[in-house]
Amino acid sequence: MLSGLQNPRQAAAQLLNFGLILSTAFMMWKGLSVFADSPSPIVVVLSGSMEPAFQRGDLLFLWNRNILSETDVGEVVVYNVRDKEIPIVHRVVRKFGTGAHARLLTKGDNNAADDTELYARGQDYLERKDIIGSVFAYIPFVGYVTIMLSEHPWLKTVMLGIMGLLVVLQRE
Amino acid sequence: MYNSLTRIQNVFGFFTTVAFVVAALIAASDFTAPRTPSATIKPTNVQVVKGRPHYYSTKKEEYAIIKFSLNADFSSLFTWNTKQLFVYVTAEWPAAPGAGNSANQTNKAVIWDSIITSPSADHLSNLGPASLKKLRKSAAGKTIDPSRGKLSLKNQKPKYQITHPSGKIASTDDVTLRVHYNVQPWVGVLTWNQDSDLGLWKKMADGVSAAFALPALKKKEGEKAR
Amino acid sequence: MASQERIAVHNLADLKNTSDDAIPNYLNSLKFKQDHRLIDTRLALGYSAFAVAAACFAWDYKLGFDATKYYTAAAVALYALLNGVLTFWISFVEKGVVYQGVAPDGTKISIATSTKKNVPIYNVKITVTPKNGSPPETIELARSFTEWFDVQGHFIARPFQSVFATAVPLIAKADPKRAQSSAPVPDFLNADADVLDAIAASQSTTTSTGAEATPAGKKSKRRKA
Repeated sequence: MLSGLQNPRQAAAQLLNFGLILSTAFMMWKGLSVFADSPSPIVVVLSGSMEPAFQRGDLLFLWNRNILSETDVGEVVVYNVRDKEIPIVHRVVRKFGTGAHARLLTKGDNNAADDTELYARGQDYLERKDIIGSVFAYIPFVGYVTIMLSEHPWLKTVMLGIMGLLVVLQRE
Repeated sequence: MYNSLTRIQNVFGFFTTVAFVVAALIAASDFTAPRTPSATIKPTNVQVVKGRPHYYSTKKEEYAIIKFSLNADFSSLFTWNTKQLFVYVTAEWPAAPGAGNSANQTNKAVIWDSIITSPSADHLSNLGPASLKKLRKSAAGKTIDPSRGKLSLKNQKPKYQITHPSGKIASTDDVTLRVHYNVQPWVGVLTWNQDSDLGLWKKMADGVSAAFALPALKKKEGEKAR
Repeated sequence: MASQERIAVHNLADLKNTSDDAIPNYLNSLKFKQDHRLIDTRLALGYSAFAVAAACFAWDYKLGFDATKYYTAAAVALYALLNGVLTFWISFVEKGVVYQGVAPDGTKISIATSTKKNVPIYNVKITVTPKNGSPPETIELARSFTEWFDVQGHFIARPFQSVFATAVPLIAKADPKRAQSSAPVPDFLNADADVLDAIAASQSTTTSTGAEATPAGKKSKRRKA
């Protein structure tokens, strides 16, 4: 019977709804990445080294294009250190030279010492390419969900499961 | 299913929409508050010594200690959306002739900074209990305290000695001190001092010292420092 | 063909979807030949957009952001374009069409349905295009879902089918049994509580005995109401 062909289409359409929700979220994130030229245009603060400005769970929006001027002293930047997983949010406090190979030193507002000890072995300064963006906007607390999710991984599974179920069971 | 979960979803969705609209309005309100910052700064005592500027320094290098006097009025930067004001003083000098590969190479280093919290953020500041109590008392009953934006420092010692990757900094010419600020909002965009007026926000009046030269190396002080 | 599954009667989307699904089932059982071109185009657009996103995810995961950012930019643009076309397709071409097909005699039929938010009325727009090239005829219906859903959320095929068979001569021709000239329209919305209780009681006993038997038994109860 023809309705036998009807059902796989219906199932495919329902699956597509779920797929499009996921892919749209992903592509919006990538669009933002491309726009800000940063692999991670929104980051969540994980440490208290910039307190009281930023606390754990605050959301930071990054901009990684030097359209008007170079990344300068006083800017709050997010940088990656070679062979270290977690990006760090600190303020640039020294800059020697200009251009791509200018030497930058960072420090957390709440730390007594600068970041020399956080850098890779033998690395005294950052270069522009280590930086994945400068903070330009701020929303407090919203990112705390992700800290909860990474500290309690089972929450992730539960949430994904609920979301999937909702979309599959309910059509618009 | 429909009755409970979807309704929770709807309520949560509505809540987030409202929260984001309110946050956006608060952030936008920043642009309606005029900013008229002003500052004067001048170096009062400049020394260059040789030693280990940081506890982790492995080799001795030249470093400069610049004492300065600062008068500043940043009271207009404090609004209901100000979480903290980060004030910092930089020393800037061009690259030594011949040392850099282009003439406009600059060097810039923070010599002093200060976090000025808004009364609404006092509880977050990293202070001992006694000074925190004092800080809170200073703004008791106030949500905004513009008087905190007034700075008057005389012959202030720098927080950070300045060095150069080459290890040489003595007898550098054309050093200027410059005052900067960074306004950290409760929500919205972070702002720094501007180079030009922007709507109601005026650029900082003055805020730059006259150019001065770092003196030649002073051996004895270096030994005393470390 | 009555569905044994129950749906939440407060969920308008469920009411509409169940009804929408019943239309192809009914018409195809009358030897109408369904035309799947609309949904096939939608699926093709949707799945190619998804494929673009999946490919983007793959290269981003394997090669990192900086090495692939120009491809990613292109993928984002392409994805936005495909999604735009898909939205256009759904809102301006499909326009709520849930069935397109050809009757055994060669007449084309297209059925679009819609609901308004919080109004439990099923709006149906049926376009019949005769084979001989004469201009298409449009029939519009607005019927309450209560006509073919009972209080517990069971879909009852017979009243639903007779709505179509009665309104559309083409369907009446294919299924004369269902075409009634004067089916009474029960009005649950205005019925008082006692009557509703009586109906609920009668249905809770009848539905358990078998779906096909239900409508006949219920009809008589409704007439009394």
